[in-house]
Amino acid sequence: MSKNPSGSARPARPANQNARNKRNATSRSAQNQGGRTTVPTSGSGFVRFRRAHPVLGALVPVGLVLLALVALVVVKTTGGPANAQPAASKVAPGSAGGGADNGTSPLPSGVLSAVTSISATTFAAIGDPSGVSAPTATPKKTSTLDASDGKPEILYVGAEFCPYCAAERWALVVALSRFGTFSGLRATHSADGDIYPDTKTFSFYGSTYTSPYLDFVPVEEQTNQLVDGAYTTLQTPTASEEAVLAKYDTAPYTSEPGSIPFLDIANKFVSIGASYTPQVLQGLSMQAIAEQLHDKNSAVATAIDGAANQITAAITAATGAQPSTSAATGS
Amino acid sequence: MTTERTRTVPGWITTASLALSMLAVGLTTYLTVTHYTDPGALACPDTGIVNCTLVTTSSWSEVFGAPVALLGLVWAVTMAAACSPWGWRSEARWVDTLRMVLATAGAVTVVYLVYIELFRVDAICLWCTGVHLTAVALFGVILVARAVSRSSTVRQAKPRHST
Repeated sequence: MSKNPSGSARPARPANQNARNKRNATSRSAQNQGGRTTVPTSGSGFVRFRRAHPVLGALVPVGLVLLALVALVVVKTTGGPANAQPAASKVAPGSAGGGADNGTSPLPSGVLSAVTSISATTFAAIGDPSGVSAPTATPKKTSTLDASDGKPEILYVGAEFCPYCAAERWALVVALSRFGTFSGLRATHSADGDIYPDTKTFSFYGSTYTSPYLDFVPVEEQTNQLVDGAYTTLQTPTASEEAVLAKYDTAPYTSEPGSIPFLDIANKFVSIGASYTPQVLQGLSMQAIAEQLHDKNSAVATAIDGAANQITAAITAATGAQPSTSAATGS
Repeated sequence: MTTERTRTVPGWITTASLALSMLAVGLTTYLTVTHYTDPGALACPDTGIVNCTLVTTSSWSEVFGAPVALLGLVWAVTMAAACSPWGWRSEARWVDTLRMVLATAGAVTVVYLVYIELFRVDAICLWCTGVHLTAVALFGVILVARAVSRSSTVRQAKPRHST
């Protein structure tokens, strides 16, 4: 390395070629005396080091980068302060157990009316698209899950942070609106720090659903707000709901027992996980999603309306109820 | 007689920098394609802190609406051009400057992205780590290239016009 005179710190570029030639000549003269390359000894220690070891000196910035990376890993493994930072939910932390701040906000105007006014023509045109999974039928002799009023019960268990739940809620709202009316639905989003972050969706927390055919029982277990590394609790399943989960949120209906979203349609059909990939909703506002539900050629409508068709068919098969020609108007 | 100034760098630098750049192009292409198709399809284990999909779909996976993977691909392609044999032979000063700026920006961005992975997303993406290692290695190669490059004066005899 030291055989290369120009390997040391670069001199300023000469103003013209003659000056450069002159400088080169001077440099060679000064540094190559008696056939031996010499290294200038003036300057600070670092400058002298760079002159003596130009390659090693040049790699100092790389060393600093590697040092920074090692420092990050060390801080991470030793539990640095940044670990306490939640994964950026945009909603302010609320209290557990369904406190005042549950990570929801009012629905944007026009969303519910758009979701509940999809025409039968659109549903029929979309039909049963590929890439959308249908609920799984339980054994035929399974007793019907009935609510306290004697109507068949549809049990949903999910959480606001969960992106798959976010996707499934759209299909559920569309499908259930064909058998009854929602009120009190609010807007929320999946967790920013999870897969398919910030997926816009409804929250069933605090909503009511009325239907002459069936009861809908939603359980939103957790918010989308991280506190001390865990999402705060919103609702807890009852003992009977836990029994349903223990029975159906397991094999053969899922390879990962305890997964959400969990949907039980009167114990006759079970759906675990999202019916379609939440990817199709990425980056879309609730208004944009709702508007596209009417476009049978859109990926959003194919996914959501297609999944709603599957749920609708399962509800009809399980309860005998017939869907309205279009989704009912919510209030 | 005229004088031309040429810079020479060892052959291994040209080879190494181009190979690293092309590796970065390959990795970022894969990440970009999966970003736009199905991030969940990334071939990556989901064990403990390793979770590629979590990283590539987090809210930090985009900057001003542009996917980080796509920005990385643009960076890698530009770097590959600057590190091509043409790039190294070029006498244009801006090529040398561009190469150095890109290499530095790449290394600094790596530190930022690793911070995001470790402390915001709480997961590590193996494919992204491959790009990070490539970027830091490129930074080193470019720095070494600048250190060992030398100016040589090549004298070429040309007929003089007598007046």
